[in-house]
Amino acid sequence: MMTGSPAADTFGVFGTTAVLLVTGPGLLPRAREIADTELAAVDRACNRFRPDSEITRLNAAEGAAVGISELFAELIDAALRAARLTDGDVDPTCGRALSGLGYDRDFAELRAAGNVPGQPASPAPGWRRVHLDRDRARARLGGGAQLDLGATAKAWAADRCCELIARRLGCGALVSLGGDIAVAGPVPEGGWRVRVTDDHAAGPDAPGQTVAISSGGLATSSTTVRAWESGGRRVHHIIDPATGGPADSCWRTVSVTAGSCVDANTASTAAIIRSAGAVGWLSGSGLPARLVRTDGTVQTTAGWPSDDGPAEAI
Amino acid sequence: MLRDDMRYAAARRDDGVRKISRLTWRAGAAGVICSAVIAVAFGHHAEARPAGPARPASGTIVIPAQPPAPAQGAGQVSSGAS
Repeated sequence: MMTGSPAADTFGVFGTTAVLLVTGPGLLPRAREIADTELAAVDRACNRFRPDSEITRLNAAEGAAVGISELFAELIDAALRAARLTDGDVDPTCGRALSGLGYDRDFAELRAAGNVPGQPASPAPGWRRVHLDRDRARARLGGGAQLDLGATAKAWAADRCCELIARRLGCGALVSLGGDIAVAGPVPEGGWRVRVTDDHAAGPDAPGQTVAISSGGLATSSTTVRAWESGGRRVHHIIDPATGGPADSCWRTVSVTAGSCVDANTASTAAIIRSAGAVGWLSGSGLPARLVRTDGTVQTTAGWPSDDGPAEAI
Repeated sequence: MLRDDMRYAAARRDDGVRKISRLTWRAGAAGVICSAVIAVAFGHHAEARPAGPARPASGTIVIPAQPPAPAQGAGQVSSGAS
């Protein structure tokens, strides 16, 4: 347990806001250096809006095997693991479905474009179409699959940055990438205080609930923020691979804590897609979660502390 | 005559023991060689992985060491959709 306030740095990355907290003010510049290096590498690997990224090259390969970096292999591996652990509900082959909804550019550009043309949805090819050979450092996409690692890459990067900072600098660290939060190392007094809310950019006093965590990760998935107009209807970025369209969920926001940020985000994304079935699944898995229905009422699972009251309607 | 039979039987027994001993030794040596071959063949995989963060267990979503605790006031950071 550490005393004193952690030092904080806030900066933009992956089209969202990153927050870096460390339990030693003098360590912040070195922590930021570590984070910048890792995040730049992840961006080069799996930003599907970058023409020079590895994911763009793989998606354009039309089923041919492509040589990949160790980092990109790790990211694909994490996405396939998420798919396996959720029986395919969190599927990395939703790239074509997202592009079909107009999400083929940076989100800021998409939002600025207003109503974009949409294509009819069709089921995702499925994660088993992704062939990863780590020994030969190669990957291949079958069945016309197009990768999108949005459900796991940001959380995975938060875990990686946090672990590296804590280990190399010997301090406590929290890394938040757009609200996907990883913590590691010594914990500040009272734990790392996190405001759980609909929109991570809404600020520390936004409607929601404050909880404290001391290890692992906390992630929130929501249909409320990354949403836009496509073909004259409102759509969002959490794709149900069974239909290829935006998940039709009874939850607007789900927050989960787990042993890592990538596991928390895997569970929160799957919970949105599983809709009413999510509560039984999260409880049975022992995963503490806070689920907010579309009408703002809240349900919790597996030891998540009771809420102050219903979340505000939006 | 009886003594010759006993000597013959003893010689056969000693011969059998030697054969079993040789076989046992060869099997042991083969095991050692196989172990060495396997270690050489697969050892480079362990070396090739860069030292990085611990990988999460592959078979299940890992539950947190402890559930979140209630806390008061504003958060140091927010978790919401981005």
